[in-house]
Amino acid sequence: MSTRRLQHIKGHLLVEDKSAEMAAPNSPLTTHVLNTGIGVPGARVALSLHRMDSSTSLWNLLTTGTTNDDGRCPGLISREQFTPAVYKLRFETGKYWESLGETSFYPYVEIVFTITDHSQNFHIPLLCSRFSYSTYRGS
Amino acid sequence: MSFKPQENPLTTHVLNTSDGVPGARMALSLHRLDSKLVIWNLVTVGTTDEDGRCPGLIASEAFTPGMYKMRFETGQYWESLGHTSFYPYVEIVFTIKDPSQRFHLPLLLSPFSYSTYRGS
Repeated sequence: MSTRRLQHIKGHLLVEDKSAEMAAPNSPLTTHVLNTGIGVPGARVALSLHRMDSSTSLWNLLTTGTTNDDGRCPGLISREQFTPAVYKLRFETGKYWESLGETSFYPYVEIVFTITDHSQNFHIPLLCSRFSYSTYRGS
Repeated sequence: MSFKPQENPLTTHVLNTSDGVPGARMALSLHRLDSKLVIWNLVTVGTTDEDGRCPGLIASEAFTPGMYKMRFETGQYWESLGHTSFYPYVEIVFTIKDPSQRFHLPLLLSPFSYSTYRGS
């Protein structure tokens, strides 16, 4: 079977594996990466959203994306997909600092959080420098 | 766990910023990445004391360069205080290149936020 045909089939099977631009126009889950070391948005940071499968305790990849020039990544997930569960946002911060010619203490940052009321909106910022980071639940 | 008070290359301090108290009696664990197998090996299991600290995380001899992970059972902690929390646990992954230095990894924590930094 050709590689092209395999890719085509994969696209039908892994329907939840979307790049962020396609996933949802009004995502109930948003993020904002800020480079507090320099005082600029964390632009072009690769990230991924995962959901824990409660029966297997394995992480399912939902979305991959990259922050824009403002450090945001619209379209992470649709309201329908956003079921109550444990989720993980992973930020490739090590690669980000490397692209700026810097080292960093953290190779990546993973934030694991629980969603029980999926009718609300959740804003999960990441404020990071080379040697620190913080996050909070915003709206 | 090794108890060598004069050799504490890696320390932590959990602070409950919501109540303004140390994060006492929180379960935590330290892991090291096996770079060949790409799996996490458990190094130490512990619980923070009344001051939110956990001495004796790792001995100098065991503290080799590599990727480490500190996992804090924050969800269980907030539950024991009768609160819910946004985060079921917190994992902080960090890289040690020069293990002759001292590394202090505090965790400042509330039910809906946390922060960490590399201290000394």
